[in-house]
Amino acid sequence: MAGDIIEVERLRKLYEGGTRALDGVDLSIEEGSWTTIVGPSGSGKTTLLNIIGCLDSPSEGRVVIDDTEVGGLGQDELTRFRKDHIGLVFQQYHLVPYLTALENVMMAQYFHSIVDEEGAAAALERVGLGHRLDHLPSQLSGGEQQRVCIARALVNEPRILLADEPTGNLDQANGRNVLELIDALHREGHTIIMVTHNPEIAVMGDRTIEIVDGKVSNDTRRREHPHAQEAEAA
Amino acid sequence: MLMRILRKSLARRKSRIALAAVAVLMGAAVATALMTVSLDVTEKVSLEFRKYGANLMVVPRSDTIDVGFPGVQLGSVTEQRYINESELWKIKTIYWRNNVLGFTPFLYQVVEASDGNDTQDVVLAGTYFNKEVTILEPYAPQDATLFRTGIQEINPWWKVDGQWIGDPNDTRSAMVGTAVAEKLGVGIGDELTLTYRPLVGAEGNTTTHGATVVGIITTDGVEDNQVFVNLQVAQGLTSRPGKVHTVQVSALCTKCPVETFASEIEAKIPSVEGKTVKQLVNAEMSTLDMVTGLMLMVTLVALFASALGVMTTMTSSVIERRKEIGLMKAVGAERRKIVALFLSEAAIIGALGGAAGFAGGVVLAQVIGMSVFSTSIGLHALVLPAVLGLSIAVALLASLLPVRRATSIEPAIVLRGE
Repeated sequence: MAGDIIEVERLRKLYEGGTRALDGVDLSIEEGSWTTIVGPSGSGKTTLLNIIGCLDSPSEGRVVIDDTEVGGLGQDELTRFRKDHIGLVFQQYHLVPYLTALENVMMAQYFHSIVDEEGAAAALERVGLGHRLDHLPSQLSGGEQQRVCIARALVNEPRILLADEPTGNLDQANGRNVLELIDALHREGHTIIMVTHNPEIAVMGDRTIEIVDGKVSNDTRRREHPHAQEAEAA
Repeated sequence: MLMRILRKSLARRKSRIALAAVAVLMGAAVATALMTVSLDVTEKVSLEFRKYGANLMVVPRSDTIDVGFPGVQLGSVTEQRYINESELWKIKTIYWRNNVLGFTPFLYQVVEASDGNDTQDVVLAGTYFNKEVTILEPYAPQDATLFRTGIQEINPWWKVDGQWIGDPNDTRSAMVGTAVAEKLGVGIGDELTLTYRPLVGAEGNTTTHGATVVGIITTDGVEDNQVFVNLQVAQGLTSRPGKVHTVQVSALCTKCPVETFASEIEAKIPSVEGKTVKQLVNAEMSTLDMVTGLMLMVTLVALFASALGVMTTMTSSVIERRKEIGLMKAVGAERRKIVALFLSEAAIIGALGGAAGFAGGVVLAQVIGMSVFSTSIGLHALVLPAVLGLSIAVALLASLLPVRRATSIEPAIVLRGE
């Protein structure tokens, strides 16, 4: 068994006005696992993903990622931690519209450390977009844009990949392509946490956590993730 | 990568950027005009100062009587029309005597000058060329009792074709201004007859004096229209022995104001008053002060308007691009990189507006120069970097608030999926 890469204890998140988005969440995520988070709209699953992704801070509780307690980090420290450890995949891709596919990926390199055009091109080739490097987002299909988004998340080689409804805006065929890509990344050893509405997609993960009213209402482990075991055996 | 992001982001928002650059342009143009005009005109005025070797003019004191009607005054019965040549040595006996580099008296009279063919009215100026003045009562015992002075000491840069009159007792030589030489068609070695005719009813007889032209003077000033002879020649011709009209004094002092010289000389020779050249150019200076003061105000207002223009553009840019900023932060952009991005954008707007404003300001400066000072305005190398720096600084300052807004954007909020 691989160790836990993420540990969350008694996590609460209160927004101004008293909205309680998370209300005492405890969970741990094993390294190399694929966890899906499901729940009704407004249940707090995106808030949980944002806090794990260091985009938001908890009101109470502890979040430890890769042995670092991130709850107490300042804004810039969170940014630095995020760029080194976490890749983000968004439902709406969020590509910079005036930069090409390649430049969108290079931008993540620039903000991380140094720009390496070949590395960025390799990341796009890995997601099957080697032939679309110089296309602007507006010249790409939704599925292609999402793949650029994944390439951008991967280019700095984070250990954790967080995806918020990555197929939510895609048709079935494109959605399947993206999920196959995420599955391949999981096989390569990335820890994946994915928020989804779709029960069919949720079952693709090793484990599914259901959040209702800011609490974990169900935690289903489908299998020990085999790739981590392989990694441990090696 | 920063340059690539900047270039593409600016290219995408050309019209908005152009609008902000125009806002900067306005301020930069007025600032350019202000700097160019004040630098150039101030330099011209101070050049006048330097050109005018004598920085102190001693003239007879003229008392006036107010007659109770604004602007109308009568010359007083006590009015002095001349200064006594015999008192000139006292100028060298003031406290700051060592700073008096030279002085030279002038006696002026309009006379007829003729070369035998043409006759022309000219101003005859009697003066010292190279004269040893005896200091009768030196200020301190160790002071020299002889002081060599003259027009050469005061105006060493006058261009002279031929030679100066070297002998103070030479009554046969004359130096003529270049304009006089041209009008009369005389050159070096030519004979000149000077005829003085008193006004009808005035005392004295018509007198003439013959002189040889030994030098032709070019100063680009009034001297070009004058004829210079030794003082005693002019005094003799016009029957004013021992009299002079004015004395030009060249005083050099970095620690003491030239006004001090004036008041000291007035104390030594009570019938005179000292006018500094500064007073003479005061009118010009005060016009300059007024124009620069006005332009400074307009510049400040224009720069304020520029800043507002840039601030509006940058604020709307931040609002429009909040998702992009949120995304940049989400993928790892620290605050300083967001700050660098937006401030670089502001600096580019400032530089573009500043460069265009400089061009506009140069034209504006010419218009002001011609209409207010009746002179064309020269360009100064300093103005372009100064205006560019100022424009960039204004654009950067105006961007501080919008940039602060950009850095406080929370990615989790702006990137929310819904």
